[in-house]
This record gives sequence, C-alpha cells and structure tokens, in this order.
Amino acid sequence: MKIVTRLLLMFLLLAVLPLAIFSYVNLQQYEASMRDETLERLAGLADKKVIQVKSYLMERQREVRIRARGPEVITAINQLPTLYLAGTRHAGYLRAEADLHKYFARYIEETGLFYDVFLITPEGEIIYTQKHESDFASNLLGGTLRDSQLAHAFSTVRMTLEPVISGYESYQPSQMPALFIAAPIMDGGRFKGVFAAQLGNELLYRVATDATGLGASGEVTFAQRDGDDVLYTTPLKYRADTQMKFRFNAQAIKLTPTFEALAGNTGEGIKVDYRGVPVVAAWRYLPELAWGMAVKIDVVEEYGPVYAQRWRLLEMLCTVLLGVGLIAWYFGRQISVPLSALASTVDQMASGHLEQRVNESAPGELGAFARAFNRMTANLQASHASLEQRVEERTCELNQVNTDLQHNQELLNETQHLGKLGSWELNLVHGDLLWSDEIYRIFELDPDHFQPSYENFLNAIHPDDREKVNQAYTVSLQNQLPYDVTHRLLMADGRVKWVREHCSSEFDESGKPLRSFGAVQDISLQKFNEDNLRVAAVAFNTRDAIMITDANVNILRVNQAFEDITGYSLDEVTGKNPRILNSGRQDKVFYAQMWQQLLANGSWSGEIWDKRKNGDIYPKWMSITAVKDIVGQVSEYVAIFGDITARKRAEDEIRNLAFYDALTGLPNRRLLLDRIHLALSASARSHQSGALLFLDMDRFKTLNDTLGHDFGDMMLVEVGRRLQLCVRETDTVARLGGDEFVVLIDELGDHLEEASQKVALIAEKIRAQLAMPYLLQHHEIHSSPSIGVSLYRGAGNSVDGLMKQADMAMYQAKDAGRNAVRFFDPAMQQAVETHAQLEADLHRALQDQQLYLYYQIQMDGEQRAIGAEALIRWIHPIRGMVPPNHFIPVAEESALILEIGAWVIETACAQLAKWKKDELLCSLILAVNVSAHQFRQRDFVTKLEEVIARFAINPERLKLELTESVVLNDVAAVVTKMHALKALGVRLSLDDFGTGYSSLAYLKQLPLDQLKIDQSFVRDICTDPNDAVMVKTIIDMAKNFRLNVIAEGVETRAQLEFLQQNGCMAYQGYLFSKPVPIDQFERLVQEGNS
Amino acid sequence: MQITTRSWKMVLPALLALVTLVIWVSRAEIKPVIKIGVLHSLTGTMAGSEMPLVDAVRLAVEEANQSGGIKGAEIEMVVADCRSDAIYCAAQAEKLITQDKVKVLFGCWTSACRKAVKPVVEKYHHLLFYPVQYEGLEQSPNIIYTGAVPNQQIIPMVNWALQHQGRRVYLIGSDYVFPRTANKIVESLLQAQGGASVLAERYVPLGEQNLDAVVREIAALRPDFVLNTLNGDSNRHFFQALQKSAISAKDIPVFSTSLAEAELAAMGPELMTGHYAAWNYFQSIESEENRAFVARFRKRFGEQRVLDDPMESAYIAVQLWVNAARSSGSFAVETLRTHLGADTLSAPEGIVAVDAETLHLWKSVRIGRARSDGQFDIVWQSERSIAPAPFPFFIPTGKLRDIEKVAR
Repeated sequence: MKIVTRLLLMFLLLAVLPLAIFSYVNLQQYEASMRDETLERLAGLADKKVIQVKSYLMERQREVRIRARGPEVITAINQLPTLYLAGTRHAGYLRAEADLHKYFARYIEETGLFYDVFLITPEGEIIYTQKHESDFASNLLGGTLRDSQLAHAFSTVRMTLEPVISGYESYQPSQMPALFIAAPIMDGGRFKGVFAAQLGNELLYRVATDATGLGASGEVTFAQRDGDDVLYTTPLKYRADTQMKFRFNAQAIKLTPTFEALAGNTGEGIKVDYRGVPVVAAWRYLPELAWGMAVKIDVVEEYGPVYAQRWRLLEMLCTVLLGVGLIAWYFGRQISVPLSALASTVDQMASGHLEQRVNESAPGELGAFARAFNRMTANLQASHASLEQRVEERTCELNQVNTDLQHNQELLNETQHLGKLGSWELNLVHGDLLWSDEIYRIFELDPDHFQPSYENFLNAIHPDDREKVNQAYTVSLQNQLPYDVTHRLLMADGRVKWVREHCSSEFDESGKPLRSFGAVQDISLQKFNEDNLRVAAVAFNTRDAIMITDANVNILRVNQAFEDITGYSLDEVTGKNPRILNSGRQDKVFYAQMWQQLLANGSWSGEIWDKRKNGDIYPKWMSITAVKDIVGQVSEYVAIFGDITARKRAEDEIRNLAFYDALTGLPNRRLLLDRIHLALSASARSHQSGALLFLDMDRFKTLNDTLGHDFGDMMLVEVGRRLQLCVRETDTVARLGGDEFVVLIDELGDHLEEASQKVALIAEKIRAQLAMPYLLQHHEIHSSPSIGVSLYRGAGNSVDGLMKQADMAMYQAKDAGRNAVRFFDPAMQQAVETHAQLEADLHRALQDQQLYLYYQIQMDGEQRAIGAEALIRWIHPIRGMVPPNHFIPVAEESALILEIGAWVIETACAQLAKWKKDELLCSLILAVNVSAHQFRQRDFVTKLEEVIARFAINPERLKLELTESVVLNDVAAVVTKMHALKALGVRLSLDDFGTGYSSLAYLKQLPLDQLKIDQSFVRDICTDPNDAVMVKTIIDMAKNFRLNVIAEGVETRAQLEFLQQNGCMAYQGYLFSKPVPIDQFERLVQEGNS
Repeated sequence: MQITTRSWKMVLPALLALVTLVIWVSRAEIKPVIKIGVLHSLTGTMAGSEMPLVDAVRLAVEEANQSGGIKGAEIEMVVADCRSDAIYCAAQAEKLITQDKVKVLFGCWTSACRKAVKPVVEKYHHLLFYPVQYEGLEQSPNIIYTGAVPNQQIIPMVNWALQHQGRRVYLIGSDYVFPRTANKIVESLLQAQGGASVLAERYVPLGEQNLDAVVREIAALRPDFVLNTLNGDSNRHFFQALQKSAISAKDIPVFSTSLAEAELAAMGPELMTGHYAAWNYFQSIESEENRAFVARFRKRFGEQRVLDDPMESAYIAVQLWVNAARSSGSFAVETLRTHLGADTLSAPEGIVAVDAETLHLWKSVRIGRARSDGQFDIVWQSERSIAPAPFPFFIPTGKLRDIEKVAR
C-alpha cells in the first residue's frame, strides 16, 4: 500500500469517524427530544379534546335533565297518555301536541343541538315525538325498535332512574346515525315516563372532529366496538362519507391508536392509522359513548424537519470527508514525493549518472539525508570531474537554452492551470494539433494515452453541443473571424463541465487558413454559482415572509410575502431595525428572552404579535436563525414568519364553544364552576373573602313571550354587557342559561365585614345599571334584576353550597318585590328547608286525609241562609291547624294545587249530592274557590262535567269563585272557557272584586253571575268614606250589569245596615258565623230556619 | 512471563465484574421506597369480609413493582388493623398519614368507617381509595370511590326484583348508616314505581347472631322478596335461620347488597344457593382479562381462593393510583386528581373510567343468582357502563335532603 493511501486512511479514521459518531448521537438525541415534545403536545391536545367532547355531552345532558323536570314535560306526561289512548287524530291529542310542538320548536330547530325529542310512557309507548318519524306511536319494549339504542337507553333509565346517554348506532326511523340522551320524568316522587332527546349529528361531529392545532395532516377520529368489529363513528378526513359505515375487524387494526383507545387505555406514541400510514398519535377512551378517540398527525409532517436534518448532516459529513481527504493527500505527498524523487535519482546514479543530485529541499530528516547523500556523490563525482569538464562546457550553453525554454513552458503551464485555461494550436497545413497540459486536465484525458486530435476534442464535447461548436469553427474559418463559444463537456463518468472557448486563425493572402490557435476555460464554478443564485431567488419568493438583517439587525432584504403581510415595501424597510413592526404587546422581558435564546442556540421560534403598516395588530409564528460566517461570527439573521390570524381565530372559536355562552360570549356554567373552584381554593390559602352574585331579570319570561325571543336575546346581550362594565376585569360574569347570570367577585380583603360592604356597593351599582331602560330596536323596555349575594372566606365552602345560597338569596330578593338585593343568611336557609318540609307534608296531607272543607254561611237580606262558601282547612297531626295562606302558596308552586283543587270540587259536589235529599239544604248554593292553575288546566271543564255527572247534582247549586288573577290572563281564552262552564249550568262569581285591576271593558264580556266585594272594603265601610264610595260604586255597577252582589267579611251590624241601604243583596261574615265543619254548618242552617 | 500475562487476562475481567457488582448493589440499596397505607379490619366482625381485600391490594402492588414501580421507586404497603371499629380506624388513618408518611390510603368497608376516616383525609389533604359499594349521597375531593353507588347496584337490583318477584318487600339490615340510608332510597324507589309496599323494615346491631325473630316474622308475612343489607357475620346467622325455618330461595328470594363470593366461601355456599346479589364484578365473568386476573390471584394466594367485587375494586383502585402517579410523576393530591379524572382502565369487570366530576367510577351493573358452588349465574347485566350518580336524580330535592340527614 502506498504511503499516501495509508496516510489517507489513517486520517479518515482519526478525524472523520469520531465526527460521524458524534453527529449521529447528537441527531439521535435531537430526534428523541423532538419526539417527546410532540407526544407531550399531542397528549395535551387529546386531553383538551376529551374535555371538549365531554363538556359538550354534559351540557346536552344537563339540558335534557332540565326539560325532564320542567312543568311543560310534566304536564304533558300527565295528560298525553289518556289523550293518546283516545287516538292521535283526536282533537284533544292534537291540541296538546300543538302546544308541545311549539314549546320544543325553538329548542330543536333553532339551535340544531337536538334533532328530535320523545315522550315515552313507563310501558315503553312513544306517545310524542317532534318529528313524527316512523318511531312515533311505536313501543320500545316490543316492536321493531326494541333493539334500538333508544330502547336500550329507555330500559337503562327504567332500571336506574338516572339520566343516561345511549350508544351510537344507525337509527332506522331517522335513516342516520343517532345518539340519545334520556332522563326519567318524576312527578311528586312517582316515575311517570321518560323524556329523551336525539342529538343533532352536525354539531357533534363539528365539536368532536375539529382538528385545530393539529397541522395539515392532523385528524381526530372516533370509533366504537361492534361485536368483533371496530366501527368509525364520525366523519373521516381521508375517506368520504364514512360515519358509521367504515368498519374493520378489530384484530386487523391492532396497530392503530383506535385499537388501544377501545381497550380502555390512555397513552401516546407512534402508530399506524386506518390508512396504514405511520402517525404520531394520542389515544383516550370516552366512557360516556364507549368511544375510543385518536388524535393523530402524520409522521411525515411531524418529523419532516428531522429527516431534512438527517440529510443535511449526511451532506455535511461528505463535505468534511472530502476536505479531510484532500488535506491528508496533500500532506502525504509532502512526504512521498521527495522520497520517490530520491529513490529515482539514486537509481539513476546507480546506472552511472553521477552528476545527478537529489533534492535537498525536503524538510527535516529527509533533507539531511539528501544533503549527506549529495556530499557522497560529490566526492565520487570529483574523480570524474576533470574528464567530463570539457564535454560539459560545450553542452552547457545548450543546456542553458533548454532550461530557459523549459522554464517558460512550465510558467505557461502553471498560469494556465491557475486560470483553468488551456491553449491549443492547430497547424492546418501539416495537420499537427498541440494541446497544453491544462487542456488534458480540463478534458480529463491522460496525455500518455490520448493523441490530441480534432475528433478527440469533439468527443469530449457534450453531444448536444457538438454541432454548435463545429458550426462555430467552420463559420469562423469561412468568415476569417475569431469565435467565442460557451458549451458543455461530457466527462467519462457522466459529469458535465461548462467551458468557454475562444479561437482565432491565421490565413495567407489567398484566404487559405494556415494555423488556428485557441483557449479553453473551465467555467463550471461560475456557472454553478449563477444557478444557485437563481434557485435562491425562487426560494425567496415563498408564501412565508422572509426578512434578512445584518449582524447589527438592520434589514437587508425582504421578500414579496413580507411586503404582503406587513404592508411595508422593501424600500421602506431597508436599513431599518425590525422594531418598526412591534405592536407593543410583548414586553421587554419577552424580547430579552428571545435574544438570549437566539444567541445561545442560534435560533428562536415562537408566536409574536406585530403591527402592520396600517396599524392592524396580528399574530404570527416566527422562526429566526442566525447565519454564521466561517469564523463563527454572526453575519446575518434570517427571520421567517407566517400570519396565523386565521388559525388563532379558529382556536378561539372552538374554545368558546365549550366554555362560553354562544349568545353573550360570557363564560358558561362549566367555566364558572371552574372559576369558583379556583376562587375557593385560593381563598382557602389566602383567607381573602369573595362573593357570588346570582341574578335574574324580573318578568323576563313575559318579555320573551310578548315581544319574541329576538328581543329577549338582545336584552340578555345588553345585560351581559352592562354587568361587565360594573365589575373589575378579573371578576367573572357568567350566564347560566335563560336570564340567569352569576357574578363572581374575589379578593375582597380578609375582613368579612368590609367585604360585605364592598359587595353591597357593587350589587347596588349592578341593580341600578340593570334597572335602567333598555333601548332595543326603538322599543324602550323596562326591567330590573333580583340579586342574591353569598359571601365566602377561607376553607369550608363548597361550590354547590355557595351556589345554592346565592340562589336562595335571589329568590328572597324576588319575594321582597323584585328589583332588590338580598344577602344570604342562615335563617333564609332555614326558611327554605321549612318550606320544603311543608311541601313534603302537604303531599302526605292529601293521602292521609288531613284536609277538610269548612263552610261559611251566606245570607240574604232577610237573614235567610242561601248558601255557603267552602273553605279549605288543613289539620296537621303535629302542627295543628295550618292557615291556608301558609300552605296554599306552597301548593301553588308545585303541581299540588291541581290535586287539592280537584279534591275540593269533588268534596263539594259530594256534599251537594248529600244535601239533595234534605229538603232544607237542597236549595243551598255551594261556592268553591278555583285557583288560577286549576282554571288554566286544559281539561278543567270536562273534568268538572264528569264530577257533576258522577254525583248527579244540580249544576246550578254549584258556584265557582274565580279571582281576578284568573281573569287577567288571556281574556279571549278565559271568556271561552267561562262560557263553556256556563253551558254546564254552574254559576260563576268574581272573588275579591275591587282589589285587582279589572277593567270594565272586559268585565262586560265575562258571563258572570255574581261579584263579591272584597272584605278589605267592607271592613272600613263605616269609617273610611273612600271605601264607602267604592262599595256603593261596585253595587251600582253590578246592578247595571245585572249582576248579583255579595259582600264578604261582614262583622258588625253597622256594616250590614250600610250595605243593605245601598242595595247589596247577600252577605257573608263573622256576624253570621265563622267557617265551621259540615255538621256544625248543617245545624246552623236548621237552627236559623226554626 | 507467560503465566503472568495469562493470569492478568483472567484477573482483569474478574476485577471489572466485581466493581460492577459493588456499584449495582450500592445503587440497589439506595433505591427509594414509596409507602402506601392499607386500612382494613383484620379482627372483629368485619375481618372475614375485609381480609381478602388486603390480598387484592397486595397483588396489585406486587404487580406494579414488577413492572418498574413508580419511576423506579418500590411501593411498600403499611397495613393497619381497623379492628372493625370506625373510630379506631380513623386514628389509624391519622397515624399512617402523620407518622408513616404514606402517600395514599386504600381501605374501609363500612360507611361508618369511611365517614370516620373522611374528616381525617380531608384535614390532611390526603387521598383515600374506598373500594366498597355504598349508599351514595357523598362526595369528597379527597376520596376516590371505586365501588358502586345506588344507581349502579341497589336501584337496578330492586327494580329487577319488582319486575320479576313482586311488589311486597321486607327490609332487613344492620343498624348503621349504609342500611338505613339505602332503605330510605329504596322507599323512594318503591314510591316512584308505585303500587309497592314495605311489609316491615328491621335493623339488628352489627355482629348480631340471633336473627330467629326476624326470620319468624318473614315466615309470617310471606313477602315477595327480602332486601338484605346485613353486613359482616350476621349474614351467616340470617341464612342459617332461614334454612332452619325451611324457607327456600324459591319461596322467598333474598336480594343481598353486601354478600359476595368471599363471604359465601366462608359461610358455606349452600346456604345462599338460589338467592340473589347485585355487583359490578363476579368471579364468573367470561372475559380474557378476568380469567387472567383470577389465574394471577390464585397463583399468588392459592388455588382454592375466590375473588369478588370488593376485592376487584380494591385491586383496580391500586392500578388507578399507580397509573395516575406514573403519568403525573407527582403525589400531590391536586395533580393526581387531574390525572385520575382522565383515568380509564381495562379492568377484570370491563372498562372502568373515573368520573372527573364525582370521583366515582363508571361501572357495569350485574345481578347474579348464587349457585351451589359459591359462584353466581348472571341473570341481568347493563347494556353499557353506567355513570355514577351519588345523588339520585329521581328523588325530589326535599326528600333527598331528609335522606342525607339520615346518612349523616
């Protein structure tokens, strides 16, 4: 092996191998850290996604729970089954259905959250659907739907009495995949049926599969088990129209993240997706739907940069290899060339050439050796010297000439080599062609094997260029002009070189060419540089903005995209500092950190907010790289950035969907609960107090019903806006739904007393703000809030408890006449609990027959008994007599009032039936109070008719006393109903007349028999002239309308006389008797008669 | 000369090996240890029920250690005997937290025990995994409930019994918080379903052995079924008394909430044959995971051993905690809770998931009829796993508050 080769190998081993190993390890580490970072990011995205989907479902479930508990649904489940049995084409059913349809319409059609709703009896009969698809009027326990997910959800609700979310499956009646949320309908502790809602697919898909933050190839997929198969449930990015159609055998997709997720696992890593493409993925299991979720990005996209890095490294290694090889070769020659020169010289000497001298110029030992050798040769030669001297002298001159010539030739050669310029000469007379050494080098031909010839020359030219060169030469000879042509050479190994050739010729007088001479220059490098520049120029024009600055951060160049994004042109920014783009959104610390990282790592990337020339502030993603020169000094900075406004907006939108109320943009319940949690745990640490304000708008429902939902919505937006103005930015204003808002105020100082004063001020400010008129589309609307406040400090508060307290306080504020602020206090809680107890007891009261009717006698002018008013009394086994004004309002809040009302009518009719047989009592008229709720019942008239028929009583003996509040609502409907009652034959009396706002106009329309003067007027009839006038007026008016008049609350003889004088005809009051049990009453009548 | 070279060639590797060994041993010695506390009764009336749970926890811990522990640290169990005494158990919990510095507690069986330990874990911001079905109406940021709540056990069981047995019910239970609360919930349930009636509601003290009077009453009233919320040894005496009075499962089936395979094995399975119990897990579940689980347990503790629901819940409790600790790399309750909230697990009973809001588990519900070999035939099971609802939706708020008072 030659020394040069050995040295070369050694060099490579010592220098390049460690470098290669080092680079490889470095790259591995970089890849590993990048993989970790990617996986972490994906895990974060997956967790976020899980929360989004869960909260979306929980919100829908919450809505279903609320509807299932709402009065509309409860009323419907009580009424519909009987109507349904009578036939779904029957008028009764159609009427009830129309009402329900209106109620659900907004909820379904406008929001798109739900597709359909169902009411199902405990026996599984679907008695109501909004869409009237083929599932309507079918049975879930038998029939074709018995294996549907709706049937499963229904069965689970029946077994657990809890709301459930069903599985996802193609639902035949809707001809599409469906998901149901079902909840039991409970009324008075009884299971009455199931309310179910079918989720809208579009929104679900949108929330579930949104792939924001996942890059171009990113995707979120969901799948569920179906026997041995795996079924993809949501639309896929890479397969069209696949939801619930795309299935695999589970074993066939064992390597997918989906398979992992469906096994109940949670994790992240590199997997293969359903297309068989390698992906970086994170997987999660969703128990709500039994779905497996995979969040994934193609490996190619995610690790593209790493692969690019790998290539760069390889290139670099090759370059270094080449460089080091050259150096090794150079040093090897330094040693081997003198040695071989020495060897060949000595060889010549051995064959008698004693005049030879070895080269002494070699460095070190070699030189010394050469010098010693030369001395030896000199001594040897001395003996030959005299002999040869003469010959030498003669040849000396000749030698000198040769040497000079040789020298010149070498010089020329050297020069040609430096300039990569070879020369040639062609004697056209003899046909001799001479090439300089450099030509051989350029053509890469070996002078020992190739004779210079025009043919060899043409062969070296690139085939495509041969004709061109030949043409140029021929033309030049014809025209006697020099030529200059640039063309390519094709090397033996396929490389291409660019050369420039120049040639002139000499001619004799006749124009015959004698000699051509020319030069060939290798211009490959120039050509290469030109090409590079062109490529760079194209790359510079990407969609991303590029900005190049010098080391002092003055802008040198920018590209077109930069001009488009920032609005600045190249001329405007050249030489400027990029600071002109600053928006001021980032502080000094941010930039300091950026520069620190840039200087330390040579690069920086991150999100930054900048300003356009027109003043717009926008987010961008920017990467800055420091370009270093050979000595490692920064020569330029290259910044590349793209405008990410659109991406940001999409992110915000999806965030809003899950945590913000769509209408007002305020935090929703979920976010609020989160914030309360945070505030409470912060308070537990810091002992700072805070407060929770619950508020709703008084009579908002009326506004919504009268002016329409659009007005309601506008008003809610305005309320939200005003609320935000009243509090600090750090406080939370949230909308729970409907017109309920919550304000969370924290950090009110560590003194509870002080905090409560501060909150009182804020609450008052809010109350005043919200009570100001609302100008909505030129309507001025008046409303006011009721505000409940609960305070907290330190540990020991629960979110739930706090909310309940504020809620209670708000109801207190409402009870106090609205437009008010109330603080929660424990007594309030006590009252609420008492109230709840009362309600529970009242339920029992009906079952245990603790309710009684008492009768108060009614007299005519001659003090003869003409009838009685039946009054309800509750005798509680422990509380004793509970006054009606305590328990009737409670009953009115729940549906109990209907049961109580029905019981009263029933009992009264039973009494009338008994009286029928008694000749004295059979003429009495019994008056019964009817509450507004009761009267509003759709089937009130038919029920009454049924009772009258059942007891076979004379309807004329029954008198219904209605309050003005009954009559005030929906006059037209009320009038119709009253006429229907009149048609039955019962009498109608208007109770408490004078206290309400009854207008004469419609008093005239009502088919009344009697007006009852309220006892508050009668009480002061003899002392207060106003009341006296009032009573007179009422009596006169009644006469004009041909109505009977009765006065209640008659306690003194003076009152009786006054009333008699003014023409009143009937009386009731303590003057005659208080309300008494039935037997006492009957005795009273008999005594009066006898 | 040659000899010296060769001996060096032998000595050098030996020396190297020795050095490696020394380093390895010293490193192994300083391997960190993470302590966990286990709170169960090893003596007293609950011992029979609770001791197998310690074995279930042990299996889970050993398996976790085999797969690398937690970030290289070994898990070590500190077992405290609660002596079937709730107050004593609370003191033990405090001792485990403050003196033994355990990172987490696994334990308690009766609700009385849990109610006593709850203030302790809350006071120290600690974490307790509670493995047994209970009456619900509770939620604590410091407790993960891996057993069933009423809607995952007793409510479907009673509904099933109402559908299949009839509407006249006899209630018998031990006299403490779980049976009393559970029966209140059952009363609401009967009212909700309408037409059902409670013939009698009887309680005996925990550990009571004489149930003859109760059985006499059952014989006289002839209910359609008996709902049994007895806990501990009383169960054996109850079923013995039934057998003595020749009341068969066919005549009057008993539906039990707190009787599983382990208790059956202890009292003799023939006593309960034909009677019913509801659980989330039965040893007889046909699944790959369960078969492997049973095999692993028997390999470790003996082939004759049986597994049941509370044991499985205790086992998955450890797995859930280990998963969360591994992925969060922390033992801070707040951090763990976030990770637990997203925890899902392929358990022997099927996939379970922690419900982030309630810190209870999503579980499948199963009703089983006892066979003469002490295993159960599953007669009903839920379509999918059921969300935990510690506060039943169907009970009106006012009434729920009354029941909560009982639970307190």
